[in-house]
Amino acid sequence: MTTVPTLAEQASPPTAAGIELRSVVKRYGTQTALRGLDLEIRDGEFFCLLGPSGCGKTTTLNLIGGFVGPTEGEIWIRGRRIDTLPPHKRPVNTVFQSYALFPHMTVFENVRFGLKMDHVPRDESVGRVRESLRLVGLEEFGERMPSQLSGGQQQRVAVARALVKRPAVLLLDEPLGALDLKLRQRLQIELTQIHRDVGTTFVYVTHDQEEAMSMADRIAVMNDGRIEHLGSPEEVYRRPASRFVADFIGDSNFFDATVTGDVAELTDGSRVGCAGGRSGPSTLMVRPEAITLATGPGSIAGRVLQTSFLGSYVRVAVETPAAEAPVVAALRELANVPAVGDEVSISWSPGDGIVLEPPG
Amino acid sequence: MSAQADTAAARRSGRRRGARIGSGLASYAGFVPAIVLLGLCFLVPLGIIVCYSFWETIDYEVVHHWTFSNYTYFFSVSAYVSTMWATLWVAVVATALAIGLAFPFAYWLSRYVPQRLRVPLLVLVIVPFWTSYLLRVYSWLTILGDQGVLNRFLQWAGITNHPLGVFLYDRPAVILVLVYLYFPFGALTLYSSIDRFDWNQLRAAMDLGASPAQAIFRILVPQIKPGIITAIIFVFIPILGEYLTPQIVGGTGGVMIGNLIVNFFQEAEYTRGAAVSLLIAGFIVVLLLIFRKSLSAKEAYGA
Repeated sequence: MTTVPTLAEQASPPTAAGIELRSVVKRYGTQTALRGLDLEIRDGEFFCLLGPSGCGKTTTLNLIGGFVGPTEGEIWIRGRRIDTLPPHKRPVNTVFQSYALFPHMTVFENVRFGLKMDHVPRDESVGRVRESLRLVGLEEFGERMPSQLSGGQQQRVAVARALVKRPAVLLLDEPLGALDLKLRQRLQIELTQIHRDVGTTFVYVTHDQEEAMSMADRIAVMNDGRIEHLGSPEEVYRRPASRFVADFIGDSNFFDATVTGDVAELTDGSRVGCAGGRSGPSTLMVRPEAITLATGPGSIAGRVLQTSFLGSYVRVAVETPAAEAPVVAALRELANVPAVGDEVSISWSPGDGIVLEPPG
Repeated sequence: MSAQADTAAARRSGRRRGARIGSGLASYAGFVPAIVLLGLCFLVPLGIIVCYSFWETIDYEVVHHWTFSNYTYFFSVSAYVSTMWATLWVAVVATALAIGLAFPFAYWLSRYVPQRLRVPLLVLVIVPFWTSYLLRVYSWLTILGDQGVLNRFLQWAGITNHPLGVFLYDRPAVILVLVYLYFPFGALTLYSSIDRFDWNQLRAAMDLGASPAQAIFRILVPQIKPGIITAIIFVFIPILGEYLTPQIVGGTGGVMIGNLIVNFFQEAEYTRGAAVSLLIAGFIVVLLLIFRKSLSAKEAYGA
């Protein structure tokens, strides 16, 4: 039996999540790109899919956009199943990595294209195109051709062209990948402002953890076709769910440890405090800025290998029998920086020692 | 973008420098062989044809009498005029079919076929050129003729018990063979044009609500317009002057204007033949003038 939704139902979307992926599997031949993905993205949130290349983040985006179909599973947007719809029938628009602007049309006509396809009356469409170009700060550029714009401007046209359709979801596929660092940082701020202005759900794919951290409300860190950790930037950074996440986001120190309650015994026999959470053989992770170095011997003894002044902090590498790689500390106070060759003791507050599953 | 402007500027200044260094007639030496060849083998004969078309043939002799009678005569014979119209529509239909087949082929080749298989496929398109043109036309007799493959198959299948003559010696046969002959020109030209297209644009168009067909006709086609027009010119113009194909597979029903010209010359009506030749040439020149603007890639991209 089929039920046609009434107008009232369409106008007030159910309280369901903005986007919902239910056990989505995607296989390309014998290769599995996604291994049963369950994901809920809230309406209006700035959501980042973060991970190394090949982790499945772009596949996830393409599944939502409709450029590939799921092998198994369902995709819903605002309570409506969309994985059976072709791309042009989904309430979703995309900002492509290469922008994919139409070179034979002016900026204005590029932005108006989607409205033409929807048969929006001319008066209304002209107004909406102007509004959209104003949103990205390009109202003066309507008559230019895309080839006459800089990379950053082209990127903004791509955003305006997608947003003019007032989609339920805006998909962004590494939209800043082709730009230099300074411009990228400026556009990150602009994109978050645009997101605040329009209130549309943004799903943003990137491999750049800093980009994800600086813009997203929530981040899904993906690896090998799975979501390893889903949470706010702070959660993902402070309480990473796995060694992969800790390693991928920010700098981290890893220790092999045997955990009992909130005490971890390291390989050199020293016993240190930790946040606990699991027992037995584990990996203990401590962020560089959580580490304190004191002169003289202590529970974890080490010797300073290198100190580097990095502007806002000093990075100190310490060799210790407790860890395979040198332990890295980021010290904010320049007065207490030890010298190379100094014997130091390494410590941290128990809450900063994150216990993770050991590498399989 | 600025890089493009830079290279354009560099090219301009390079040209200026070249002109300075090679000033004098010496720098044009390279053109001499081409000019001599073109002058002797094209411009001089063309001039002769132009003169002939305004002279008269009396008793198989060309008389230097200036007159328009060759042109008025052509338009006074209804059979000639109808052959002219027929030639036009055969050329239009054959061109449309050849391009209509070449476009999906080129599209499929550059969008879906992996890079390593493209060259072999393109070679297959060119393979017919390894045999003579005459042979390729004649071979159709063995397909369409009374003892041809098609008739034998129909008889073997029991659909008919005597050879059907409908396949040969009329315009459909001419069009079929012309499409076969000129498809490679269309396919190669279109492929080289489509191959430079950024397919993400079609995805973007569909993402913005265009159906696949709308995306192709509003995004891809306008951008490869110079390629399409080049393909049309490469196919349409030679077909207009086709003589061999209607001669071999066209019979009496498939006569084209090229056959008229041959007939005039064979009957020593040199001046009338010259006039008809110039009619085609004039028509082609007009066509090229119309298409000239669309051939500019600059216009399409506003650069």
